[in-house]
Amino acid sequence: MSAALTPAEITRAKWDKLAPRFDSMASLGAEKRWKPFKTKLFSHMQGKILFLALGTGLDIPFFPKGQQITAIDISPKMLEEAQDRIAAYDGTISAEVMDVHEMPYAEGTFDQVFTSCTFCSVPDPVAGLKALHRVLKPGGQLFMFEHTGSNHYPFRQMMDFMTILSEKVGPSMNRDTVSNVKAAGFEIVEVENVFLDVVKTIKAVKAG
Amino acid sequence: MDHRLYYVVGDFLVSLLIGVVAGLVAWAIVGPGWNMWAAMALMMPLGMVIGMLIYFPLGSRLGAMEAMIPSMYTGMWAGMVVGMMEAMMPLPLHHAAEMGAACGVAEIIFIWLANSILRGVTKA
Repeated sequence: MSAALTPAEITRAKWDKLAPRFDSMASLGAEKRWKPFKTKLFSHMQGKILFLALGTGLDIPFFPKGQQITAIDISPKMLEEAQDRIAAYDGTISAEVMDVHEMPYAEGTFDQVFTSCTFCSVPDPVAGLKALHRVLKPGGQLFMFEHTGSNHYPFRQMMDFMTILSEKVGPSMNRDTVSNVKAAGFEIVEVENVFLDVVKTIKAVKAG
Repeated sequence: MDHRLYYVVGDFLVSLLIGVVAGLVAWAIVGPGWNMWAAMALMMPLGMVIGMLIYFPLGSRLGAMEAMIPSMYTGMWAGMVVGMMEAMMPLPLHHAAEMGAACGVAEIIFIWLANSILRGVTKA
């Protein structure tokens, strides 16, 4: 009889299962609608960059050219799907299968960390953000494009209801990611609500 | 609201469709003699499910949260309002469809207004 799966193994299994049909779910609607906001956020890329949760690489076409990016993802199947987009990128993307909680990088390795619809799925979001805080240089920047819960009726209740269903197959819909970023030790620089207070970009910094 | 025409028209039409379908389902299920509160309590979650069922083939072409939230919200309200009205007095089929459509229009306008208030930049 096999041992119980860890939260990271459960997350990996969910995304491995979704990988073959993820593009058909996300690329037609969500990515097209979010393109201007993601392109604007990723335009800040410079220096030594960590991209957390590359997935199938749907974000890669929005990256500015010529960057050197280290990308990780917990799901090997998702990264397999990303290979063509990685190869097509006009720059360098080094992608590895890795759990954010177990990153081997030394403290202060990166100038910037980017995430895109990631912290709805990281099993322990504050611990994951603390891991990002550790690998950032002092003064390093965190840029996030995330969907979160809402602070407003009736959207808050709807996101709670949706989470009951969505967590079975993938992401949570009701996380308070801005508070989690603060709890991990970052200083918030700017939050931009893209749709209601549910889809947003977050810019934060590790105190120097 | 999103000012790109494709999304304005798409969001509007999907919300309208969900309102009509949820209204017609409420008309088919609820009848005179039903307790009004029971009709509303049943049709709220059922309307949300109808919204989700229409979201996946149609709304998902328009986005994730930007389409999913209005779909569920419209389904919930159209189902609840038409269910309530049908419990109080028998409605002709076309009135149920019209009322559902009106709910669809009202809800997408509500979402656009809420979005115009909530979206934007907050600096630390």
